[in-house]
Amino acid sequence: MTSVPLRPVRHWIHATQSSHRERGATLSNVYVGVLFVAIVVAMFKEQLTKIFWPADPSLSALGSVSVAVICGALLLLSLRRLGPITLSRPASYFLLTAPVSRRRLLIPSVRIAAAAAALAGAAAAFAILGHTGSRDTLSDLLIVIGALAGLLVYLIAALAQSASRGATIIDRLASLALAIGLAELVAEAAGWTPPTLAGPPTTTSLVPLAGALTLVLLLGFGLLVRDLARTRNDRILESAKTAGTLFDAAFGMEPSWITDMVERRYWANRRLRSSHLLRVARLPVLTAQDLLLTGRRLPRLFWLAGATTLPLLLTSTPRWLLAIVLLYATMIAARTSTGTIRTDAGNPVLSRLVGLTSRQALYQRAWVPVALAGVWATAALALLQLTGNLAPGPWWALGIALAPAGAAAAIRKARTGFVRNDLLPLDTPMGTVSTGPLVNSIAGPDLLLLGLPTLLALAQNKPLSWSSVILQAAIAVMGARAYLNATTAETRTELTPR
Amino acid sequence: MVDHPAVEVSGLHVSYGSTPVLVDVGLVVPSGAGICVTGENGIGKSTLLRCVSSLQQPDEGTIRVFGGDPGDTPEFWRAVVTTVEPPTWYPGLTAREHAELVCRAHGQDPAAAGVDEALERFGLTAHADAIPPSLSSGQKQRLTLVLALIRPSSLLILDEPEQRLDPDGKAAVAAMLAEYIADGGSLLMASHDDAFAAASGASVTTMDEL
Repeated sequence: MTSVPLRPVRHWIHATQSSHRERGATLSNVYVGVLFVAIVVAMFKEQLTKIFWPADPSLSALGSVSVAVICGALLLLSLRRLGPITLSRPASYFLLTAPVSRRRLLIPSVRIAAAAAALAGAAAAFAILGHTGSRDTLSDLLIVIGALAGLLVYLIAALAQSASRGATIIDRLASLALAIGLAELVAEAAGWTPPTLAGPPTTTSLVPLAGALTLVLLLGFGLLVRDLARTRNDRILESAKTAGTLFDAAFGMEPSWITDMVERRYWANRRLRSSHLLRVARLPVLTAQDLLLTGRRLPRLFWLAGATTLPLLLTSTPRWLLAIVLLYATMIAARTSTGTIRTDAGNPVLSRLVGLTSRQALYQRAWVPVALAGVWATAALALLQLTGNLAPGPWWALGIALAPAGAAAAIRKARTGFVRNDLLPLDTPMGTVSTGPLVNSIAGPDLLLLGLPTLLALAQNKPLSWSSVILQAAIAVMGARAYLNATTAETRTELTPR
Repeated sequence: MVDHPAVEVSGLHVSYGSTPVLVDVGLVVPSGAGICVTGENGIGKSTLLRCVSSLQQPDEGTIRVFGGDPGDTPEFWRAVVTTVEPPTWYPGLTAREHAELVCRAHGQDPAAAGVDEALERFGLTAHADAIPPSLSSGQKQRLTLVLALIRPSSLLILDEPEQRLDPDGKAAVAAMLAEYIADGGSLLMASHDDAFAAASGASVTTMDEL
C-alpha cells in the first residue's frame, strides 16, 4: 500500500491555518502566555513558596512516600482519562483514516504528554521535598527521580491504552494506591505516629536507582514507539474526543461539557438491569428515581464515604479554611444525585412529558441531596470531634442542620446551565475580566451562605451549644424553602430559574 | 375539553428573518380526530407544530388548544404530548425505567398501563435494560413514541413519527395511533408518508391548503 509522507501534509495544514490568522498571532499568544505566568508568579510568590517550600516543613518520611504515591496515582488516572496517546479531533477525522504513517502521526502526542508528565513528576518531587521534615538531608537528585517517575507513569498509561486487557486492573490499582496514600495521611492527622523509615536516601544510593529507571524507560519507550502504529482506533478516537471536549471547555469556558462527558462515559460502561424500585416504591416518583440512580453510583458513594476523613488533613491549617472546605464538600456530596435536575434544566422535554409542576419536581428531587449532604456533613464533623479537633458540643447534629443548605446549593448549581458569555466584561486594573464564567462559578456555592452559623462555629472553635444547631437548622430550612419557592411555580413545568 | 376543537389555528404568520414561513395559516383539529399535515421540506410543518405546542411564538395569529392558550403550564402538558423537539434521556435510567417513570408521574401503575406490552409491540423488549443513548436512532424513535403513547393525554403532536422506522415499526406505530384516535384522543402530525397517515386514521391535508 502506498504511504503518503506525513510531513508535507502537516506543513500544508499548518500553513493553511496560519494564513487565516493575523500576522504574528502565534507569537503574540506565546508572549501573552509567558507574561501571564510571570505575572502570576510575581503576584503569588509568597503563596507559591508556601506550597512548594514552606518555612516549617513537617511531613514525616512515610507521609512523603504517601504524597508521592498520591501524586503518581493522580497523574496515572489523569493520563488514562486523556488517553494518553491522542490526536486533535480534526486529525482523528481526516488523518487517522488517511494512508499516512500512523507512528509518525501519533509520535507528537507521545512527545508532548511525556514531557508534561516528566515536568509534573519533577514539580511534585520538588514540592514533596520542600514539605518533608528532613528536607535538608535529602538529595536534589530526587527531583530528577521525580521526573523519571513521571515518565514511567506516562509509559504505564500509554501501554495500558494499547493493551488488549489489563487496563481496568491498572486503573483500579491506581485508585487503590490513591486511597491508601490518603488513608495514611489521614491516620497521621488523626494522631497516629508513623513508623520511622530508614535514614534518608543518599545521593550515592539514588544514582543507581536513576540509572535503572532510565534503562527501564529507554526500553519501555522503545517498545511503545515500535508498537505505536498498532494502537487501537477506537481508543485513539475516544481520547481525541476527550482532548476535543477539554479544549472546547477551556476555550469556551464551559466546564459543564466535561461533566456531561464524564457522566456519559460512566453510564456507557455500565451494564444495568431495570429495577423494580420505580414500580413498587411508595416514595414520590422523582425521589425514587434519584434514589435508584444514586444507588447505581457505588464508586462515587465509596469515595464520598472515604472523603469524610479528608477534613482531618486540614486541621493544621487556618480554621476558616477548614470551615469553607467542609461547606463546599457538603455541596459536592449533595451533587451526587443532582444529575437529573441538570438534565431537566438543560432540556425540558422530559419535564413536559412527566407533567409535574416545577415546584413539585424540585421538592421531590431535593430529598436525596438533603440526605446525602446530611450524612456526609454529620460523619465529617463527628470524625473531627472524635479525633479531638473540635471543642465539646453536638457537632454531629450540626451536620444534619446544615444538610438543606448543602442541598440547596447543589440544586442551584445543577440548574445554572451554560456559562453566559453575553454578560458585560469587567474592567479591572489587571485587565478585562469576563463576568459570565465568574457568575456561573459562584451560582450554587453562593447559597452556602446559608451555612454561615456552621462557618462561624468552626472558625471560632468554641464549645458548640444546641441553640447554634437550632439556629443553623432554621436558617438552612427557611433559606432552602425560600430559594425553591422563589424560583419555581405551580403554573409551569420548566426547572430553569426565572 | 370536548366542547372545543382540540386545535384551532387562525391567521398564523411566522417568519425567520425576512423569510416568511407561515403566511395566514388556519387549521382546525376536531376533538377525537386526527390531521396529518404533509408538504415538502422547509414548508413550515415543524414550525406549525412548534407553535401549536407553545414551543415557538408566532409573529401573528391565534392558537387555541382545547379552547385555551397553549403554554408551559402543567395542565397543558398533562393534556398534550409532543415529539416536536429531539428527545433527551435521564443518564443511568434504562428504557423500561423511563416508561415506568412517566407512568408513575401520571398516577398510573406501570404494569396496568401496559409498559411491557408497549415495549413488546414496538420491538424493544430485548432492549428494555439498555440506556437509551446506546440504542440505534430507530429504536430511540420507537422509545420516544412508547413514552408518548403510554401516558394519558388528549392530544398528540407528532413530527414525522414514521422517521427512521422500518416497515414493521411503521405499521405498529400507525396501529397504535389509530387506536389512540378511536379511544377519543386527538392527533396533529406532520409526515411525508401518505400511506402511514391513512393507516393511522388521520385525514391528510397539505400545507398549501391551510
